[in-house]
Amino acid sequence: MIVTNTETVAGYEIVATYGLVQGNTVRAKHAGRDIAASFKNLVGGELKGYTELLTESRREAMQRMLAQAQQLGANAVVNVRFTTSAVTSGAAELYAYGTAVTVEPSV
Amino acid sequence: MEEDFIFIGIQLLVFVGPMVFFGLIIGGTVEKRHFRRLDALDAQYQDFLVTQLKSFPMSVAGESAPSLVVAEVVIASDYLKSWFAKWRNLFGGELRSFQTLQTRAKREVMQRLIKSAMEQGYNAICNVRIESADVGGATAERQTPMAAVIATATAYHTGRNL
Repeated sequence: MIVTNTETVAGYEIVATYGLVQGNTVRAKHAGRDIAASFKNLVGGELKGYTELLTESRREAMQRMLAQAQQLGANAVVNVRFTTSAVTSGAAELYAYGTAVTVEPSV
Repeated sequence: MEEDFIFIGIQLLVFVGPMVFFGLIIGGTVEKRHFRRLDALDAQYQDFLVTQLKSFPMSVAGESAPSLVVAEVVIASDYLKSWFAKWRNLFGGELRSFQTLQTRAKREVMQRLIKSAMEQGYNAICNVRIESADVGGATAERQTPMAAVIATATAYHTGRNL
């Protein structure tokens, strides 16, 4: 599956468009990670736990989006966008959406 | 009278002590080291073509199709930064301590994008989008300020350096 955040794919031509596909997830880290983060706020530096949280959520949301695209018979998703929102303390919602299309190598 | 001074002294020690220790010494070192790492990597990634155009500038057909790359980073503030910011908030104006924090997050996430594209064998990225992410209510009234960003781009092959 070809996934891009551009409207076109270089070297390929869009031959069919199926419409919007989307996937979202709300995830949290365990309380220990939140406590560790609050300590990290004394000394600064990367909050690895929260970076991981974003990475995991992004993968999950994307997988759901790609599953939808596959169901539609698409072989690519273009113009993918991500948005996040905070549902509650320590939890993040990640929403991925894009347009499912079929592409063919252009000659 | 003397007791008062001792009391004030203890108060200063309790409040200012950790601030100086955690913020100035550890936080300052962490930030300096981070900037040094960022500078070193920036020099290394000089030849990598980065644009935020939607149109694959100077693209050539490579062995693989263009592909989405995503990177994210969350960086914590330190005690001193947060304390400075609280004071700044009283008088208004630029929160310099948080500005450097955001700069670090944005530069870091950019380098992660490039690294992930490079690892997959690409030599350019286009349509770079950097957004602030929201982890657990950074917008709500919480006591832990942090910089969370998520960046996306499309990796492709360019013939620029060939």
